[in-house]
Amino acid sequence: MLFLLNNPGIAFILLVVIGFTVLMGAKIFEEIKLNSALSLKQRQMRISTPLKSFKTRIALMSSAALAPVVAVVIVATIALSPQASLPTGDLVAVNSANDIMDIYTTFQERMGSNYDTFGWGLRTFDGTVGAPEANFDTSNVLTSDDGTENADSGSDDYSGTNNQVVGVEEMDNVLTDGKYIYTMYQNKVQISLAYTTVDGPDVLSLYKTFTFSNEMCSGEQFYPMGMYVDDDYLVIIGNQYNFECKDYETEPGDDEGGETEPSYIEPYYWHQNSSHIKVLVFDKNNDFELQDEYLMNGYFTGTRKIENNLYIVTNNYIPFYDEDVDIDYYLSEYSVNGQVTKATYEDVVYIEGSNPNSFTTFYGIDLDTTQVDMETILGDSGYNLYVSNENIYLVGSVYYFWPMVDYVEVEEPVYESKTAIMKVAIDDGEVEYKGTGMVSGYTLNQFSIDEYNGYLRITTTSGWGEETNNRLYVLDENLVVVALLENLGKPNEQIKSTRFVGDYAYLVTFEQTDPFYVINLTDPTDPVIEGELEIPGFSTYLQPLGEDFMLGIGFGDNSGGTQGLKISIYDISDKSNPFVFDEIIFDYSEFGWANSTVTYNHKDLLVSLSKGIIALPFTTYNFGDSGYSYTSGILVYNIDLVTGFTFNGYVTHAADSADAESAYDVYVYKSKFIDDYFYTISNKYIKVSTIEDTQTILDSIDLN
Amino acid sequence: MFKLKVSKSEHKIIKDRLNLVETISYDYILTDDKELVEDDKINIVFNSSEITRVTKLLDLIVRGEEIHIIGNNEFGQKNVESRNFYYFIVENEDVYGVLSNTRLLIKTKLYEIEELLKHKDFIRISKYCLVNIGKIDYIKPALNSKLNLLLKNSEHLEVNRGYLKDFKKALEI
Repeated sequence: MLFLLNNPGIAFILLVVIGFTVLMGAKIFEEIKLNSALSLKQRQMRISTPLKSFKTRIALMSSAALAPVVAVVIVATIALSPQASLPTGDLVAVNSANDIMDIYTTFQERMGSNYDTFGWGLRTFDGTVGAPEANFDTSNVLTSDDGTENADSGSDDYSGTNNQVVGVEEMDNVLTDGKYIYTMYQNKVQISLAYTTVDGPDVLSLYKTFTFSNEMCSGEQFYPMGMYVDDDYLVIIGNQYNFECKDYETEPGDDEGGETEPSYIEPYYWHQNSSHIKVLVFDKNNDFELQDEYLMNGYFTGTRKIENNLYIVTNNYIPFYDEDVDIDYYLSEYSVNGQVTKATYEDVVYIEGSNPNSFTTFYGIDLDTTQVDMETILGDSGYNLYVSNENIYLVGSVYYFWPMVDYVEVEEPVYESKTAIMKVAIDDGEVEYKGTGMVSGYTLNQFSIDEYNGYLRITTTSGWGEETNNRLYVLDENLVVVALLENLGKPNEQIKSTRFVGDYAYLVTFEQTDPFYVINLTDPTDPVIEGELEIPGFSTYLQPLGEDFMLGIGFGDNSGGTQGLKISIYDISDKSNPFVFDEIIFDYSEFGWANSTVTYNHKDLLVSLSKGIIALPFTTYNFGDSGYSYTSGILVYNIDLVTGFTFNGYVTHAADSADAESAYDVYVYKSKFIDDYFYTISNKYIKVSTIEDTQTILDSIDLN
Repeated sequence: MFKLKVSKSEHKIIKDRLNLVETISYDYILTDDKELVEDDKINIVFNSSEITRVTKLLDLIVRGEEIHIIGNNEFGQKNVESRNFYYFIVENEDVYGVLSNTRLLIKTKLYEIEELLKHKDFIRISKYCLVNIGKIDYIKPALNSKLNLLLKNSEHLEVNRGYLKDFKKALEI
């Protein structure tokens, strides 16, 4: 009723339709009555003449009476059904900036709404991709004249990044190659010699420090985001922002009248479209000489590395709200060692039906040849990147308003969202757009997605409260849904973690208890829940430990709640009957408060079945009589798939601090092993111990 | 007009064969059982072998006395039985009787014809028109409370609002 009061136009139309239908109904009734009487009368008159027009006439009249109702239903269906504007995934060629403006205008008209996903107040700066500049300082702390010190090789037995997909490297902030440990903290990347087969861990020493400019008005700032390392290269990827700094003069008469001081004028730098992604490639075999420099315009979406091919996804929003928008400026461009290549409009494809708000660009870089391949797509961006050995999947939300929403005032949600999955094939540094698929709900993280035997499996959650629906979709290689499992979990429960391992999916949903599901995907078209386990708390991260066990890290306490950190091992050897093999609970009531970044960042977790350990950053905040205390360290457990967890050690770095106060500045965030040695990394130190006894520090270096 | 009094099992069959419409008030009893006759009515007692003849008899009863109307067309004077007229209409103060494929100029006033045919199921639908109910094919109510009549010769006539009540009464509505 409120809806009708809010929309008098619709109420009027509805009234007219109802009135017309009633009138027509009455007319039909009268006509039937009159003609029946006529028929009876004529039979009394012994005239036998069937009313031949009667049936046709009534059918016609009924159609006429129902026509407006049908028309209203059709209009309402079209107007209120968001399906009408879902992306089809078909590609539309683009030839000029005008084409893009046309696509944008058409999209806006079709949505019938001022639909701008990016109304942040973008500012345009001169962010042209330019020639490379040595915008960082290198300081070699430890060098030898003849280089003999570093000539010894490292070990092949070391911990790599905890990647989701075997063979697909994920960028991280601490790496080792068995010899060096590469650390990244704020604007520094440091290389420390950690281990050689000749000298063991005694060689631990800082080898090289790259310091990047992070001063606002220095021209270029570079903020490293992560690194890759392999046998040949050290790759550092970061954001480069070009701030516009203006000098301003204080008013004459002020104390400092007339003086000019450089100032940071534009405070909205994160909204400025001046971001570039910079990739620095250092040659490991030439003492980390800068070999190549790549620069791409836009914002960082994600990256992976497969062998010597680097893949980067960027996104560049086009501020259409600006009447003078120069689309050329936002068109993808990259440079390799200063050699600029700009995409042409012919390179751009538009995904039919998607919101043309930005350019999403997939780059494939062959680090050996510096060959760059790119695929630029005009369409909605994504938030969740999953990369298999064959394909990149970029998952984003498609928000679509009800068409005609400007003319129809609705009280409840004016839009719905779906998950769009963009598929780009990758092959030896080359990238090619394959299609877009569509599923309901939103994905939690990269582990919600998995490709196996040509099928894409994806878990989503949609809705809130009673409306919540957790789904598992299986899509074929053309991104057509071939199977759907719905309503996983109990009412109100949301997906908290997913892990796909071969033919099985492991799924945790949570509201009050943690149902841990084992889903059999052997037949991709017919997924079946094979096992289920209900326990207090929930895991936010799952990692397989061999074939028969699953490690779960998340929240849980001793009283069945979630006020604690919980590490569990599920025995999944019998898929129909999973059970908790072992678990450790750190109840907040005992610690004050405890946290581990592993609950949201899988790359901070070290798991090695061959070494029999798991290690994770663990921070506690205690509120005791003496006040507040903070401890940051790496928690290490031995894991044995027969006996379960046994405590190994808790490695903190605070003890080395000159005074207790500075302990608060130490943040231990990563652990690595090389051979039998265990390295813990904080913002200040790298410390080494043995895996057997992680708490006894053998050596330490200061990174500052 | 008629009431059929036969055994229940045969009632429908006989009624169909006689092409009979029964009414609540009636003047004639049709029966195959002389025990069922009603003294104050006209009784027709028949056996089932006579149904065809009874049917013809009923036709005669319903048709009643034949009334002939005399009129002229381009081929001369015609004498036509009243039931063959579709309607009578006044045009330019002349009365015409309309037949399936011709019309006759009739020297009688319309109200006189109406009086003459008052038991012949002719009904006045406007000041100028008298229609034969037996020649109406279909009735279409119009939005303006009038009725459109489609006749069996595909002509259309209109029942004026003032005559609607009488028209409906004639159809026994």
